[in-house]
Amino acid sequence: MTRIKTLIVLFLICVHPCLSVAAIDYSKFSHATPKHRAACNTCHKITFPDIKDYPSHDACVSCHRPQFFRGAKPPICSVCHSKTSPRDDARLAFRNPAIKLQFAIEFPHDKHQDVIAMLQFSHAAPQNYYNCTVCHGQRTATFKAVPTEHASCFNCHWKSQQPVADNCNGCHKPATPYTPADAPTRISAKFVHEGGGIADKKHVRECATCHINITKSASSRGLKPDVPITACTECHNKVGLRQDLNNELAALKKNRTYTCNYCHAPSVGNLDPPASHFAIAEFPSFKRKDIK
Amino acid sequence: MKLFLFAFLLMVAVLPQSQEPPAKQTCVLRLNARVKWDGAEKLRALQRKRFFLIPGTLEQNRALIDAIERQTLTSRDCYYQKLGASPALINWLKEGDCESVYCRGVEKDLVTGPKAVPEFASAYAASQKEYGNEETALRWLTTNVPPDMRDGFYRDRQRVIQELLKQASSVQSVMTDRNGTAYFTDLGPGTYVLSNLIPSELGQKLVTWNCQVTIRPEDLATEKPYSLSKCVGVEKPMPVCAAD
Repeated sequence: MTRIKTLIVLFLICVHPCLSVAAIDYSKFSHATPKHRAACNTCHKITFPDIKDYPSHDACVSCHRPQFFRGAKPPICSVCHSKTSPRDDARLAFRNPAIKLQFAIEFPHDKHQDVIAMLQFSHAAPQNYYNCTVCHGQRTATFKAVPTEHASCFNCHWKSQQPVADNCNGCHKPATPYTPADAPTRISAKFVHEGGGIADKKHVRECATCHINITKSASSRGLKPDVPITACTECHNKVGLRQDLNNELAALKKNRTYTCNYCHAPSVGNLDPPASHFAIAEFPSFKRKDIK
Repeated sequence: MKLFLFAFLLMVAVLPQSQEPPAKQTCVLRLNARVKWDGAEKLRALQRKRFFLIPGTLEQNRALIDAIERQTLTSRDCYYQKLGASPALINWLKEGDCESVYCRGVEKDLVTGPKAVPEFASAYAASQKEYGNEETALRWLTTNVPPDMRDGFYRDRQRVIQELLKQASSVQSVMTDRNGTAYFTDLGPGTYVLSNLIPSELGQKLVTWNCQVTIRPEDLATEKPYSLSKCVGVEKPMPVCAAD
């Protein structure tokens, strides 16, 4: 009888998750773990002019001493180190691009527009994009880059101007782990910022001329780099100049399988045109399914 | 059984419509902020000015409009004079129509030499000591400008704006570009008040605009232009700075 009881207890310990000790994977670090939710500077020491590396060993050892000295290759080391060996201190890139982001950045474009909209340097090359290039550098012909270094912020927010360097939470808000998109979703995938004619470069304008929602955005949550069709049709659908939108709508009206390709990639060009396109082109609205 | 059949038919009838709800159409209001001032003949663009669009008519927003018109704000010059700023800093801010030191790049000639602005020179010296190299000291210079001198005027105005906005809801605000253009988006039909809430300094005058704009159902899915020159601004003389 005692043997059966022992077997039952052992069985329960093995299968019942509440009774068994769950195996913790120490190779994975999460800021969501309750004990990892202390003040940021408990572990991250801010050093001028940027935060370029993982916290020091002290930050982990204070609680994880047993895991540090477990076996020849302690899994916990692989959170920061590319090789888990006491003879090799090489670290992974900070932050590790292979790991999902655990924080979202809160950035009020409106406040920054208020104070730096006129920021110009007389010695610099013509600042065609005005203040936006302070943070958004060129990445490809079509996309602008987003700032990735703290130094982009610290030149104003290092101290005294909140959120300052040690107020991480001022910008970094805990989020469900996510993989950031490589590039923003493009609606007009064929647009080139440096385009608008080789010589004229008519697309080179103030950013807010087309990205009309930027100056009103108090948060970067849900912010899209949306551009209204009117920003395009000012030149691309004007009597006596160009009729690009009208031509596309006319081609579609004749052929329901037509892909609008002057501006769009097929993923967008095969959809029904939105109401804004018909309104601006003064073209009677229709849907693909209704085309005979 | 009949009830079941009726319910099923009702579902079939309703389902296709609920699957494809009509797209919500909104209007874009294109603000053209170009006005005449200082006796100029031509309209001039109001660059980098923030405007607000408040739901409701002027009458419905009477309390807010009264509060806007009652406010007594100090001018940029008076604020900085009271703070003991150097004439060089006051002029530098004025030249760029700046509300804070962030709005223009501070270059080497402003921290040393005959054109130096004393506040920038001392911040630069402190930054050199703190950051260890000239380039960073110049780029990070504003971190060593005293807070009130750095952006106190801007913060004061923001406090006033936030206080005024407590009397309204669903307010959009946008900033004009160098041509004086700005866009209010996602607007439904209705009446709105276009306002700058706090007066703009135009030459020797302070000007406040509070005007009614109506978005009609036929304006949806379009871009409706609105010229600020149609709106009569309330002009007040620039306040005289109080002597210390």
